[in-house]
Amino acid sequence: MPTPVSRRSVLRGAAGAGAAGLATTALGTTALGASGSGTPEASPPRIRPHAAEPIVVHVRDAGSGDIEVFAGTSQTRLRDRDLAARIAQAIR
Amino acid sequence: MSSHREAPEISKDPVADSTDVYAFVSPDRADTVTLIANYIPLQGPAGGPNFYEFGDDVRYEIHVDNNGDGRADISYQFRFRTQVRNPATFLYNTGPIESLGSQNWNRRQFYDITEVTAHSASRIAAGLPCPPCNIGPLSTPGYQGLADAAVHALAGGITVFAGQRAEGFYVDLGSIFDLGDLRPFENLHAQYGLNVFTGPAPGVNATNHLNVHSIALQVPISRLTAKGHPTIGVWTTASRQRVRLWDEDRGENVSSGPFRQVSRLGNPLVNEVLIPLGSKDLWNSLPPSDDKRFAGYVTQPGLAALLPALYPGVFPNLAALTKAAKPRADLEAILLTGIPAGLIPGFQNFTGTVLADMLRLNTQIPATAAAKQSIYGLLGGDLAGFPNGRRPADDVVAIELRALAGVTYPLVDKSFKPDAAAAKLTDGLTPASVASGYLNRFPYLGTPYSGFDNPS
Repeated sequence: MPTPVSRRSVLRGAAGAGAAGLATTALGTTALGASGSGTPEASPPRIRPHAAEPIVVHVRDAGSGDIEVFAGTSQTRLRDRDLAARIAQAIR
Repeated sequence: MSSHREAPEISKDPVADSTDVYAFVSPDRADTVTLIANYIPLQGPAGGPNFYEFGDDVRYEIHVDNNGDGRADISYQFRFRTQVRNPATFLYNTGPIESLGSQNWNRRQFYDITEVTAHSASRIAAGLPCPPCNIGPLSTPGYQGLADAAVHALAGGITVFAGQRAEGFYVDLGSIFDLGDLRPFENLHAQYGLNVFTGPAPGVNATNHLNVHSIALQVPISRLTAKGHPTIGVWTTASRQRVRLWDEDRGENVSSGPFRQVSRLGNPLVNEVLIPLGSKDLWNSLPPSDDKRFAGYVTQPGLAALLPALYPGVFPNLAALTKAAKPRADLEAILLTGIPAGLIPGFQNFTGTVLADMLRLNTQIPATAAAKQSIYGLLGGDLAGFPNGRRPADDVVAIELRALAGVTYPLVDKSFKPDAAAAKLTDGLTPASVASGYLNRFPYLGTPYSGFDNPS
């Protein structure tokens, strides 16, 4: 089951992404499931992001390098301290 | 109520806020069930120039569990798409909207439906038009015809409608949220020493002359049920993508990431009045299969303890029951497992031991003829009414108030004698409190109130 999120955390995510800036770097993927929690397990295939769609980066914790990347209906979670540090540097 | 603005987070997001779910054997198509999920609560009909519409960025779903595990076996996903003909005018319509294809209709919505099962995801409809909102005699003349044109027959015997409807749920919000006052009994309320009520008063329907947006499906029973499982569990969810970002160049929000559930509704009033404030947002984000963690709020409901305190001396037997702290197995059956066979002659809608808040409908119980229906459903001896599914006119407020007050406890403990007042509890409203009335055909909810005439 996906991690529960509230509307507040969604908005926090958006705000966090804004604070960290937008990254368009190609990143390694460890994609998480995309189905809603009420839907049968075999949900529709994930839509691959189009080139024109934004890629949103949410640095959850710059210290540990915990980063979420969102594009289309996908998300990827990374642990990359160097990347997190570069993004944090860019926003200062 | 029944789930309008019921949790702190979703109350700020009305487009994704589910308000009511209905599930019943269609009275005019006995081999089908009708499933209705309402969204966008408390719409003032005159709310232009940007009249109400579904969210293009919301994934709406109606789920059906047909094996009792509290997880969806079939889901119908609805995605909406708004089209603007002329962005250079501020008007919703530039002349009378005489048809769904009218050139005068400037801001239209279309939708796709995907049927999702454990094995497949099939697009069963694409580009279906919604009707306009009911604006008034100049803009939407012949509104009923516009609404009828938005009822679409799909392959497989499915019928669908998505658009504005009159609010059919009746409730006296103004009194109930004033510290549990029920106007017909308000002289019996403790009143906190203020002594403002001296006698009973009639109820006031707070949702009268307001609209909602409905997603209505009529589906063959055989398509929803599994062999040997005639009872289905129904609920709706709304989901948003995890990230919403204000794009200052486009002047609009853009969304990204996977969808996550932000709203859920099965049985009326569960999240509204049983789940405590600190857990409501979490409840909205989870599937029914996780409801075991909330079961204590159902079997030890705070409202059952409040009634004897709010109405001193009126509910002595309920007070004793609450004081004994016996788990309310009757409420658990009604709301979380279905009612097992043997408790009500000729009836059961038990789905198993998994505790899951779903609207359970035994599809083998035929619809009751209109003249013989009881708005009190099972409590009124009408096996086709709530909590065997829910019909639009069922008085779910009175049914649940009475159940909470102990009327249904003898189902599990025959030695318990409900208080005399318990079976009379009501907020003083009936279906006659709904000015629009109801339709006797799909989509069953009444014609939406027009902005021209409401408020009058």
